[in-house]
Formats: sequence, C-alpha cells, structure tokens
Amino acid sequence: MKRASLRASLALAAALAAGGAAVVGLLPSYWVFLATSVLITGVALQSLGLVAGRTGMIALCQMSFAGVGAWTVGYLNLAEAPGGLTVWILLGGLAAVPFGVAIGLPALRLRGINLAIVTLSFATAFDTILATITYPGQAAFIQVPRPALFDSDGGYFIFVLIVYAVIAVALEFLARSRLGASWLAVRHSERAAAAHGVSIAASKLSAFAISAFIAGISGGLLAGYLGTLVAENFSMMASLSLYAVAVMTGAHFAEGAIIGGILVVMFPEILRRFDLPQDIGNVLFAIGATQALSTGETMSETFRRLCRKLRPARRAKAADAAGSSLPQPAAHAAPVALEIDNLSVRYGSVVALDHVSLKVTAGTVAGLIGPNGAGKSTFIDAVTGFLNAYDGGVKLAGAALEGHSAHQRARAGVRRTWQTNRIAPELTVGGYLNLAAKGLTESEIRAVLHWLDCPDPETPVTTVDAGTRRLLDVAGVVAARPAVVLLDEPAAGQSHEESVRLGQRIAQIPKLFGSAVLLVEHDMDLVRSVCSEITVLDFGKVIASGPPTKVLGEPAVKKAYLGIEEESVAA
Amino acid sequence: MDALLTSAVAGLTAGGTYALLGVCAVFTYRLVSVVNFTGAAIGTAGTFALIALTEAGYPTWPSVFAGILVGTFVGVAIGYVMTRWFAESSASTKAAVTVALLVGLIAVGLRLTGGQHPHVMPELFPGSAFRLAGVEVTIASMLTIGLAVLFTVLSDLFLNRTRVGLHLRALSDRPMAAELLGVKVQLLSLLVWGLTGAFTTFALMIIAPQRSPNFMTLSLLVVPALAAALVGLFRSFWLTLAGGILLGVIEGMASTVDSISQYRSAIPFLVVLAVLLWSQREARWDEAR
Repeated sequence: MKRASLRASLALAAALAAGGAAVVGLLPSYWVFLATSVLITGVALQSLGLVAGRTGMIALCQMSFAGVGAWTVGYLNLAEAPGGLTVWILLGGLAAVPFGVAIGLPALRLRGINLAIVTLSFATAFDTILATITYPGQAAFIQVPRPALFDSDGGYFIFVLIVYAVIAVALEFLARSRLGASWLAVRHSERAAAAHGVSIAASKLSAFAISAFIAGISGGLLAGYLGTLVAENFSMMASLSLYAVAVMTGAHFAEGAIIGGILVVMFPEILRRFDLPQDIGNVLFAIGATQALSTGETMSETFRRLCRKLRPARRAKAADAAGSSLPQPAAHAAPVALEIDNLSVRYGSVVALDHVSLKVTAGTVAGLIGPNGAGKSTFIDAVTGFLNAYDGGVKLAGAALEGHSAHQRARAGVRRTWQTNRIAPELTVGGYLNLAAKGLTESEIRAVLHWLDCPDPETPVTTVDAGTRRLLDVAGVVAARPAVVLLDEPAAGQSHEESVRLGQRIAQIPKLFGSAVLLVEHDMDLVRSVCSEITVLDFGKVIASGPPTKVLGEPAVKKAYLGIEEESVAA
Repeated sequence: MDALLTSAVAGLTAGGTYALLGVCAVFTYRLVSVVNFTGAAIGTAGTFALIALTEAGYPTWPSVFAGILVGTFVGVAIGYVMTRWFAESSASTKAAVTVALLVGLIAVGLRLTGGQHPHVMPELFPGSAFRLAGVEVTIASMLTIGLAVLFTVLSDLFLNRTRVGLHLRALSDRPMAAELLGVKVQLLSLLVWGLTGAFTTFALMIIAPQRSPNFMTLSLLVVPALAAALVGLFRSFWLTLAGGILLGVIEGMASTVDSISQYRSAIPFLVVLAVLLWSQREARWDEAR
C-alpha cells in the first residue's frame, strides 16, 4: 500500500513540478494569472471529488464552504491577525469544517438525495447571508496581502501550486488508506461496509469534514488571488456548475480536477475572445455531466481506460507467498464462541425464526443447514445486527450483543460473508483486505491471499471473477481473526474440485486463525466433511442438531430436504 | 398581532406555490422515482414564454395558454432525457442528472432572457378575494392554494384508486417490470412530466409578479418546493401540501420582523435540517442489499 501511494505521489509531484515550471517559464504573465485560477478551481474540485466521486453523494454547496474559508481569511486580515496568509488559509479551512459536519449530520442515514436537498438549501441560505453581511473589507477595498515570498503573480502561482500538490498527495495517501477504502465500500454497499466494522456515520462525516476543509482552503487561496472578494464569487450557481464539472471530469482523480479547472477557467476566456456569450460554458458542462452519468464513466476514467489499453496487458497473477507467513492466530479464551438462545424473528405475521438455539464451540466448525427459505440468512442477519428487532439472546464469548449495531458487533468479533458479492469494484484486492482486516502487514496480506488461491494484492477487484470474489470475501473475514465467522454459502457457484479445496481451507480456519466457524451451506459433501456439529432449520424451527452422521440420517431432515417421507423414496 | 396576521396572509400566495411545486415533486418521485431539481425551472421557462409574448404585444390570455404549452413541452423534453437514458438508473443518479440539467436550463434561460435585465410580468389575478379578520386575502393566494389542493386530491386519487396508479406505485423502481405487465411506462412517464410541467408553469405565472422575475430566482423556487416535499417525506401529498403552505406563511411572518427579514431565504434550509433530523431517528439501511 505505502509503496504504491509513494510511487503515485512522486509521479504526481513530478508532473506538477514540470507543468508548473513550463507555465512560469514559457507563458506570458496573463496566462500565468489564469493558470493560478485553474489550480484554485482544481483545489475546489478536489474537495468536491471527495464527496461526489468517492462517497457518491450529491453535494451542491461546495462554493459556500469556500466562501466560509474566504470570509475567515478576509476577517483575519481586517483584524490584523498574526501569521499571514498561509496561517489564515489553514484557519479558513478549519472554519468550514463545522459547517460540513453540521450539513452532513442529517444526511447520514438516508442516502445521497437528502444531502443534495440539504446542500442546495444551504447554498441558497448562504447566498443571502453573505450578501447581507458582505465580505470583510469589501466596502473599503482592503486587499488581502499575499505572502512576501510569493507576492508577484508568478510567485503566487507557485504558492498555489505547492498547496495543490500537498493536497493532491495527501488525498492520494488517503485514498489508499483504510478510511479511503471505507468511503468506496460505503458507497457500494452500506451493509457490507458495516459488516467489516466500518462505522457508516464516521466514514461519511469524515468525508464531509475533509471535503469542507479543502473547499475552505480553496476559498482562502481565492482571497489571496483576487485581494478582495464579493458574495457573487461564492454564489449557488457557482456551486452547481462546479458539481456539473466534477461529475463530467471525475474530480476525485488528480487529472480530473486539473481538467475541470481548465474547463471552468478557459472556457469563458475562449468564448470571450470569440465574442461569444460566456455562460454557454454552463450549458456544455450540463451536457457533459449528463453524458458522463449516462455512460457511468467520467472523462478521467475514459482517459485511464485508454491509457491502460496502450500498455501491455498484465495477466492477473496469483498471490505470491514467498517469504511471507500467515498472521498469528488470535487467542479467544472463551470455550463457547457464540451462543444463541431462543432467537425469534417475525416479519409482520410471518415467523421467520422460531425459538432457535445453538452453540458454536471455540476452535470448531459448526454447520447450519436447511432448505431454501428455512431462515438461514435471516439467522445470520439477526446475529450480526442487520435486523431492527428480534427476540431472544445472542452472546459472543459470554457477552450479550443486544443493543450493539452491526459495525459494533463486527468489531466485537462476529464477522460474516454475503451470498451476493458486495466488494466495491474500485478497490484493489489488497485494499479490500486492508479494509476487512485492520493492521495486517503486506506480507501477511500476501500469505492470506495465497492460502485461499486469491490473486495478487495489486489486482483491481474489477478484473477478479465472481467465484474468486467469494473467496476474497472469506479471506477478508478470516484475516481479521474474529471470535467467530459466519460463512453464508461460500461454495455456491464453485466447481466440485474448488469446493473440496475450499472445504479443506475452512476446516483449517480454527487452527490457523483462532476463529470458530459457523458454516451455512447447501453442499452436503462440504458440510459433512468439515463440520463437527450440525443444526438443521426448517420453516424457522430447529428440527435436528448434533454430529453430522447422526443428524443427516434422521428422517425429519431427509423429509425437509426431499419433501417426502423416506419410505416413499424407497418404494 | 394584526401586522403578523397580515404578513402571514401575505405569505399564502408563496405558500400555495411552494405547496403545488412540492406536491408535483412528490408526484414525480413516486411515479418515476426522480427527485426533480428542474421542477421550478420548467415552470420558469413557460412563464418567460408568457412574458416574451406579452412584451411583444400579444394579448394576455392566449399568451398564458402558449406559456403553459411551452412549460409542458420543456417538462416532456426533460422527461424524455430521463426515460430514454436513465430509466433503469439509481434514484441518486437520476437526481444528479436533474441537477446537471438545472445548470444547463438556468444558463440557457438567463441567456435567452437577458440575465438580470428587468421584465414586466403581467399580474394575472389582481385584487382581493375576501377579507379575513380585517385582512385582505388575494385572489392569487386562493388560486395557488386551490390549485395545490386540486393537484393533491387528483394525485391521491390516481395513485390510490386507479389500476394504473397502483401498478406504477408497486413498480416505480423497476420500470422494466411494469413494462412487462403491459403498462406503457414511457408514455405514462412523459405524461407525468408534461402534467407537472403544466401545473408548475401556471403556479409560477401567478407568483412571478411578487418575485424579481429573473430566470434564476424563479428556478430556485425548487428549494422551498423540495423542503415541502421533505416534510411529506416524499410520500404523503397532504403533508407536503401543509408543509408548503406553512413554509410560505413562516416566510411571510419573518419578513415583518426587521432583524431576521433579510435572512428569510434561509428558512427552507432550517426546515430541511429539522425534518431530516426528526425523520431519521431510527437507523435504516440503504437500498443496496
């Protein structure tokens, strides 16, 4: 992870330095002035890319956050606060954070659309408020002074370039961190993210807060750039068109933010030179954004896809385990890993689970089987905290889990996999494992992947086939080494050989990772070969439990599976 | 007290408009699952057609009719984009598309109408309808509220009492499934867009003389409209109606208090915040199971 971030950051810094030198050295001063504006818009776009691109939310008040930052800078200038522009800009960014969090709060539970409405109404409110209180120093034409070292237009360009590069590199590292992975995961499926112990609220709020901070900084930069500002610089229309540009170019990519900045600044410039009305730009952004949304691909993504085509195709390698070893098994002392006592779930008048009790002993693999609709997945949902209400008790290593949300249960040590694939496709295999199991070293990640025949950590998840993604799901939960893992039909869709091999791996989980396993499966061979205890559900009731040979021989179990009495089969 | 009542009543026209726009937003959301940010902009286009025609010397009422036709047409055009390319997209993507279209519509609108250039908007329904406790209640306010109530009743009847409405309700997230049941989804969607376009246009024509009739301010009436729709949680027409009227009344009252009157366009924001915080007391999972 670290190495990849470093490599990407160095490439980015080099590209920016080269571009910057070219701009300052070759272009006339008017174009340097415009290029500064491109970078400031680029900073604002990066802030928007974080929310719109990574977490997939619609944020329509980014320029209001910038306005908060700029207003703070203007105010500090009037108050003759110490520290100069650099410090004021930072303070301006920080001043925008509480606004970002306050606006994000009401949009936490329901998704994107509510945020769109909140942010749009905030932008309208901010418009009138700023027009009323006016920008500090606006009436008296008091200029915000630039830092002495970067006072000229060329100098200020370099100042802005440095800020842009710092933010871009920081975002690059953030994107590859566990937090960055959690944003993508939340965007893809909130449930799956919570099952990895990710707090949805914390993940979204951190994105809002960081995004508001960066937007505030862009406002501060603008204050130093123009000297004095007016409310129109931060109007709602500016926020709206910035959103359209971000959607069109893909502002969560470094090149997307730059392309967007160029479009926003250069379009009016070009139109002006041709004596054309400058607001045509917004029409084109609207068309571009609609086009990007309909194809589901932003300009940056198109660009990257075409670049990938040019490079020789790399085949997905299997993870190489040379010189690496699996993480140490976790020690879970309690003799009973998971104890379910009289668990009942009803949906309206339908009883999905009826007083189900079972135990998973530490260090063993237990099985939960039953025909379709027997309530197995409901059972997993209830135990892992994905149902709003159930009766009965769930105890993990002796401690009751009631009152704990899904992500708290996951952190406490109940982990699950899913029947359908829910891995965010934007992640790499290694990034996914980092999200699922906190704090593994790179070599441990390699070893776990190798152990389950998964591809190399650098492989993008998009290129991994569906069957292997299911294995990756299993790899994630076992690598976290929780007290108990609930595997929901891991062998579905696997060939016979693959499922035999998977069975051998599952049987090793308690010894290698220290976790007890509850396996939900239809593949009877697999269940018989790895489970020491089996519980059979039918219509939400436990109809048998005990060692496999005994349970699978019981007539009630055969009837549940075959739908007929044993005698009529014989007959 | 009297002053407060006067200003509250003065807010009724705006309240009726917000209510109608809000109910249209809920109607659109429930039938074609689009949170429509262009709602007010569609009506604004029609309103400006009316202004252009009257400024060119055409008589008022034929111009009103032509304006409504233009609003309907713009609504259908946006509906065509949505049904043609985004019928199977997620609600969030559809909302993003309407935001992008709003940007484009406002840009085109401002260009065609000369930006902030002042226009004369004929007052369609001048005068007062009746006196209530010594306060004049205008015809315009009664008309917008009446129109909003009419649309609410019609929507409620259509969705709850008709076969097609029931089908659409059950299947609004999956137009393909409705199509398989023999519902002409595309045609119905366009009908929804056209109908809401016509109603919003008429409502905006009534409220336009009260506002600075510039393309952007009128288009941004979508903010109080969506706030009203949130009061109804994008489900209940009657709550949306009440929310819209209340929003207008609060705004009217706020305009008389000097210390806050300048900030009254922040009211929808506060309402949105309050409604969202209140409606999300219990945890819910996203639709991506």
